[in-house]
Amino acid sequence: MKNNDTKAEPIKEELKENIQKIKQDLGGSDDIIIREITFGKDDSAHAAIIYTDGLADKKLITDFILDSQTQKSYAEELDREADRDNLLEALKALALNLGDNKEIADFRSLYNAILSGETVLLLEGYSVGIAASTRGWKDRSVSEPVAQSVVRGPQEGFTETLRTNTSMIRRKIKDPNLWLETMQIGKVTKTDVAIMYIKGIVSDKVVEEVRARLDRIDIDGVLESGYIEELIQDEAFSPFPTINNTERPDNVAAELLEGRVAILVDGTPFVLIVPTLFISFFQTAEDYYQRADISTLLRFIRFISLFIAMVGPALYIAITTFHQELLPTQLLISLAAQREGVPFPAFIEALMMEVTFEVLREAGIRMPRPIGQAVSIVGTLVIGQAAVEAGIVSASMVIVVSITAISSFVITGYSMAISVRMIRFVIMGLAAAFGIFGIVVALIALVMHLCSLRSFGVPYMSPFAPFVPADHKDTIFRLPHWAMSTRPRLINQRNVNREQTSKPTKPADRNNQGRR
Amino acid sequence: MTGDGFEMTGKVQISLRQFTVLVMFYSIGTTILVIPAALAATAKQNAWIAAFAGWLLSLIITALYVKLGSLFPRRSIVQYAALLTGGWIGKPISLLFIFYSFVGAATVLYYMGNFMTTQVMPETPIEAFIVLFAGLVVFGLRLGLEVLARTAEILFPWFVVLFVVLTIFLLPEIEMKNIRPVAEIAFKPILSGAISYISYSSLPLIVFFMIFPANLNRKREAGKAFLIGTLVGGIFVIIVTFLCISILGADFTERNMFPSYALAKKINIGNFVERVEILIAGIWFMTIFFKTVLYAYGFVAGLAHLFECEDYRPLVLPSGMILAASSLVVYPNVVYMLEFDSTVYVPFSFAIGLALPLLLLLVAGLIRKKRNH
Repeated sequence: MKNNDTKAEPIKEELKENIQKIKQDLGGSDDIIIREITFGKDDSAHAAIIYTDGLADKKLITDFILDSQTQKSYAEELDREADRDNLLEALKALALNLGDNKEIADFRSLYNAILSGETVLLLEGYSVGIAASTRGWKDRSVSEPVAQSVVRGPQEGFTETLRTNTSMIRRKIKDPNLWLETMQIGKVTKTDVAIMYIKGIVSDKVVEEVRARLDRIDIDGVLESGYIEELIQDEAFSPFPTINNTERPDNVAAELLEGRVAILVDGTPFVLIVPTLFISFFQTAEDYYQRADISTLLRFIRFISLFIAMVGPALYIAITTFHQELLPTQLLISLAAQREGVPFPAFIEALMMEVTFEVLREAGIRMPRPIGQAVSIVGTLVIGQAAVEAGIVSASMVIVVSITAISSFVITGYSMAISVRMIRFVIMGLAAAFGIFGIVVALIALVMHLCSLRSFGVPYMSPFAPFVPADHKDTIFRLPHWAMSTRPRLINQRNVNREQTSKPTKPADRNNQGRR
Repeated sequence: MTGDGFEMTGKVQISLRQFTVLVMFYSIGTTILVIPAALAATAKQNAWIAAFAGWLLSLIITALYVKLGSLFPRRSIVQYAALLTGGWIGKPISLLFIFYSFVGAATVLYYMGNFMTTQVMPETPIEAFIVLFAGLVVFGLRLGLEVLARTAEILFPWFVVLFVVLTIFLLPEIEMKNIRPVAEIAFKPILSGAISYISYSSLPLIVFFMIFPANLNRKREAGKAFLIGTLVGGIFVIIVTFLCISILGADFTERNMFPSYALAKKINIGNFVERVEILIAGIWFMTIFFKTVLYAYGFVAGLAHLFECEDYRPLVLPSGMILAASSLVVYPNVVYMLEFDSTVYVPFSFAIGLALPLLLLLVAGLIRKKRNH
C-alpha cells in the first residue's frame, strides 16, 4: 500500500530531485537511460530524457528528440517564443514531432510510460512531463500459424505484439465501426488487454459483460490469454472450453463479422473469442474457403472423429466384455483368438494402451527437438509390434487406440480435443462396468452438462438446443456463401442480415434476362 | 446474465418445440418396451388396432388436460388445487398427485433395473443399475427443467434415426399371417387394450401439469404442442406394436415381458447386422430416462410447490435417494409387478390421471358459474 502511495506522488518542479527519485525507485536499473540535456538561449533550459533501453526505438529518439540539429532549430524557435510562459507547451508542439504524446503529472504514470517503451521528457521548473510514444522493440515477425494451418487461405498468424495483431485485424476489416478498447490488467505485469468488436453488429450486452468481467479481474500478472480465459469464463468447473482461442487473423475477422468480441492480450498470439459455441470447435477457417459440399463432408468427418475419439475404446470394451453377440461370428472368433494370450481384461488393456499413448504424445510435445526421432521410433515399436508380440495387448486393441488417437487430432479446436481425451477415460470406466448402458448413461449426462453451459449468456449448444432452424446453415452443414444470408441469431438479434447476394445463375439465364 | 444458476422454478421458460419433444419422449417412455405384451394379452392379433384405439382415446384425454391447463396459465396443479378447493382439501389432493409421481418414478426405475438384469447383464446386481440411473436423474433434475428440455431436443433426432433404422431393418421379417384374421374385431378386448394403453401412456401425462402451461414461453399455443407430442409419441408406439404382432406373433408377444427387445433380436441383414438389440435398447434407455426424470420432476417440484419452497433443488438429492431405495421395494418380484400392473395400476392411474383433473375442472366450472350469478 505504501509503495503505491509513493508512486502516485506528483512530479516535482526540481529536475534534480525528480531524477534522484526515479533512480531510487527503479533501483538504479541499468536499462533505464536518463539523459540530461540543456538547450535554448544560453543553455538556459534544463531537461531530462528518460527511456528504457530495448523497449524504446532509439532511432526515433535520436531523430526527433536528441538530434542536435533539431535541437538548434527548436532552440531558435523557443527563443522566439520565449514570451510564452509555458515552455512545455512549446516543446510539446514543436520538439516532440512524434505521432502521439501526452502529459503526465505523477510518478505512477511516468513509470508506466517508461516501462511500456515510451520516452519521458522532464523539464526544470515544471511539475508535468511529456511522454512520447516511441515504442519499438525486437519482436517476432508475422509467420505462419503453427496450431491452425490450412491448405487454402491466408498463411499469416498473430504475433506476440498487441499492436501488430490489432493492425492485422484492421487490415481485414476496414470499417469505422470496428472499435478497439484497451485496458491494463495485472497489478505487476500491467499487461495491455484489448477488446475488439464491430459496433452495430455486436450485441451491446455482450460487450458490457466482457468489460465488466475484465474489470473484475484482480491478479498480479497476465502472461497469456489463458489467464484471462480462466478468470472470465462462465462455468468454473467444466471440462469443456466456453471461450475459443485462435491465432489466425482471418478467424477473428470472421467471428467479429458474426457479432462476437475478440479479446487480445499483449504477449501472446492467441486471441480469445466470446461468446463461443460448442460447434465453433468443429469449424475451421478453411471450411469457408473450400467449396461448400467439400466443407460439409469435412465437417461430417470431424463429427465422426469426435464420436470415435470419445467412445471408440469404450465401445470396444463394452462389446468385447458384455455384448459379444453384436459381432459377426467370424470377427468374434478372430478377436477371441487374438485375445487368447492376453492376460488382462479389455478395460485394463485399453487403459494401459491409452495411458501409454498419452505419455508418448506429451513426450512428443515437451521433448527437445533433436530427440524427437528417438522417441517416435521407440513409441512406434512399443505401441505397435513389441506390445502385441509380448502378449501384453491384442492387435485389435492397438488398432482401436491408434484410430482413437488419430481421430482426436481431427477436432479443430485443440482445447476441445483435450477435453474429449479426458472424458474418454470416464466413459471407458462406465463401459467396463455397465456395457452399452454405461455408455448411454455417460452420453446423456454429457449432453445434459453441455446443455447447461453458457458462454457469455449464449447457450453453448445452440443452435441445436435451443433449436434455431436458421442457424443450421453453418453447423453440421456448410451451405454455400450465397445461402448464408443471416448472422447467428442468438449471438446478435439486431443486425441479422449478412448479405443480399443471390444464387449465381448460369450464363444462359443471364443472357435471357439481358434480352428482356 | 451471469447469476442465473439459481433460477426460480416458476421462471424457467421452455419453448413449445422442447415441450413437444418432452411429451413425445415421455409418452414413449417405458410404454414402448412393455405395452405390446399387455395389448396382445387382451386383443391378441389385433393388438395394434387396440393401440390405435388407445391412441385416439389419448387425444381426448390430452384435450381434457389442455382444457384444465388453459384455466390456470401461470400455476402448477399443486398450486391451483389448493386455490380451487381450499388448503384442507387441496393439499391432500396435491399429495395424491405427488404420490402418483413418486410411485411412477420408482416403478420406472425398477423397470429399468429389471430389464437390465433379466435381459442384458444377469450377473450384475439390480442395485447397481438403479443407483447409476437414479444418479443420472438427480444430475438432470439439479441442472433444471431448461437443461432437460434442451437435452431432449438434442437426443430426439438420434432417437428418430435409430427408430427408423430399427423399423427398416425389421421390414423383411414381417409376416402378414401373424396379424390375420384382421376382421375378427371384438369391441371388448379392443377397449380393454385401449384402456391399458392410456393408463400406461397418456394418463401419466398428468405430471406435465407441473410444467404445462406455466413454464412454456408461448402459452396460447401450448395446447397444440401438447396434442402434437401425444400424437407423434403414440405413432411410435403403434408402429412398435404392429411390428411385434406381425413379426413375433400375438402369442409370443403376450408371453414376453419385453417384446420390443425380443423384436430387435430378429434383425438380420446379410448375416452381418444381427443381434443389435443392445444398440436398439440404447434408444429405450433414452426414453426411459426422460420418463423417470419427468416423474421425478413431478415429485420434487410438486413437493416444493406444496410446501411453498422457492426452489426445488435442495429436495433433489434426498428425493433421489428415497426413489432409488423405494424402487427396490416397490415391487417385491416380477410376478407381483405383472399382477399389480394388470389389476391395480389401471384404476390407480384412472383415479389420478382422469378423476382428479375432472374434479378440478368441475370445481372450477362451479366457481365460475357462482361468480357469474
